[in-house]
Amino acid sequence: MILARLALRNLLRQRRRTALTLMVVVAGFLALSLAGGFMAQTFQGLSDGAIRGGLGHLQVMPPEALEGEEAQSLEKALPDGEALAARLRQDPAVAEVLPRIQFMGLLSSGPRSVAFLGTAVDPALEPKHMACLDSLKDGAKTPGGAGSRWLSPDPAVREVILGAGLARSLGASVGSLLTLMSTTRDGALNAVDVEVAGLQDLGLKELNDRVLTVSLATAGQLLDAGPARSRLSIVLKRPQDTAAEQGRIQALLPGTSVKPWFELASFYRQVKLLYFAIFGFMGLVLFLVVLLATVNTLLMSVMERVREFGVLRAMGLQPGQLLSLLQWEGAFLGLLGSALGLAATLLLRAGLNALHLQMPAPPGTSHGYELNIHLVPGVYLAVAVGLQATIQLSALFPGLKAARLRIVEALRHV
Amino acid sequence: MLELRGLTRAYELGGERAGVFGVSLAVPKGCLAVLAGPSGSGKTTLLQLAGLLDAPDEGCVLLDGQEVSSLPEGERCNLRLRRLGFVFQAFNLVPVLSALENVMLPLQLQGVAEAEARRRAEASLDRVGLADRLHHRPGQLSGGQQQRTAIARALAPDPLLVLADEPTASLDHAHGGPLMDLMAELAAERGATFLVASHDPAVIARAHHVFRLADGKLVEGP
Repeated sequence: MILARLALRNLLRQRRRTALTLMVVVAGFLALSLAGGFMAQTFQGLSDGAIRGGLGHLQVMPPEALEGEEAQSLEKALPDGEALAARLRQDPAVAEVLPRIQFMGLLSSGPRSVAFLGTAVDPALEPKHMACLDSLKDGAKTPGGAGSRWLSPDPAVREVILGAGLARSLGASVGSLLTLMSTTRDGALNAVDVEVAGLQDLGLKELNDRVLTVSLATAGQLLDAGPARSRLSIVLKRPQDTAAEQGRIQALLPGTSVKPWFELASFYRQVKLLYFAIFGFMGLVLFLVVLLATVNTLLMSVMERVREFGVLRAMGLQPGQLLSLLQWEGAFLGLLGSALGLAATLLLRAGLNALHLQMPAPPGTSHGYELNIHLVPGVYLAVAVGLQATIQLSALFPGLKAARLRIVEALRHV
Repeated sequence: MLELRGLTRAYELGGERAGVFGVSLAVPKGCLAVLAGPSGSGKTTLLQLAGLLDAPDEGCVLLDGQEVSSLPEGERCNLRLRRLGFVFQAFNLVPVLSALENVMLPLQLQGVAEAEARRRAEASLDRVGLADRLHHRPGQLSGGQQQRTAIARALAPDPLLVLADEPTASLDHAHGGPLMDLMAELAAERGATFLVASHDPAVIARAHHVFRLADGKLVEGP
């Protein structure tokens, strides 16, 4: 422990220099941990958006569903999807199964027709497990005063929810009567009349211009779907078990493909990769700055203590112990820097979150969001360990320099 | 106790060959011996060779009859830590440690428990008359007090041999003489051998043995 005590005293010897180095470590910790909290918020938002946007935790689909072009008709469907859904609802790990039909066709207002991508859902179950109500556009009211509402659960009622851009291109609003046209499973052209129940804003312009949602009953009539379903979205009771449940449910359902949400949410994966690249580079630069600042501090400290090191070596200190002395100095810098950095992070995080700052809409989306930097102990630990390792590495060079000093030359050093 | 046999260590200094050449001498146990000679005569070089701080080009150093100069660096470190003590002209105390901590340092490096190291360090400082300066940092001590602290540090581990390089050179005459008296007393009291490099007449006057050096060689006479 004598070396640790000596190391601590040496750091206190040059207080201003030590304080400056600590500030670099604290700034590095602060930047990386706040970035980690911001990333966690973003990933959480994106994963929630993907899961509650319709994917669920797991999706059951025909094995060929992801081969070639993505299925937008019942060509690639689970032939008896409803029976499969009923069976899965008996599984103790499953909270709910939401069958869906994906289809495409033309939507006509009479004078104008626009191509659409449609999704049929169970209007009663969907709002209980998905965020479909969140995307209903506020203020989309007809002159008569009717605002956006969700689809009626009555199978006899033919209604549609339109993407805001799609409604605009048709000049439609809540209450408008439109005609859906598509092909049945047998390839025959079919049409049903629907009333616009609401408009939705999904946050992406490309989606808003193309998508619509109807009930399974409406789609069933249009497509002559029978019990066939494109996909089954499974909501698990324990979302954290998604990966394990995927394997188990896949084993229960041979002849189908069971995919977890994170394999299907390509936007989530792309954003995650992008963030890792951006913040990874930023982290690398910060670690480099910390490395250089610490090397500078410890090297200056070594150069000022050459004679002292000579005396310590003359007294019998082994070269390895001199190396340890410098490592102890690095250890104290890292521990103190990380502790101060953690305190600064918690304070700044609380302050920023209390300001309720509105962040601009990310590229390709139409919604801004409130900044809410997450508390991420795992990230703080990783940053602290990374900084500590960087500092210990930076102490290596000055330590080796000190350990290699020739005693007689060190004693002559002025 | 200490025996140097045919020691040669040569180096270039200002374009000229300097060092020590074929020096042989023996210092008995409990003796205060002085290496005397003018500047550049090789006193410090010889002291460093005897203290295992440097390796000779030729010859060897024997400590208690054991050849030690050719030992690996790790073992020489260990010998310096446990059997040798050093006193330097510029005191060379660790500035961030108190007088007590400076004296405890070699003991703690040996692995002596803190309480025991503290007890022995306090006794050592008391012996050199610094019982009331235990917690003073080197910067708060006079030159004489610092050098006495350095002597206490050198003696605390009970070494066989204490090597002192110009210990009085940074002190005025009023402090240099008493310091040498103290060293002579400690040599007699503890049975430790002192080898001191100095050209100070006050030091030479107190020596049991004087070895005179000139141009890196031992010479006869005063």
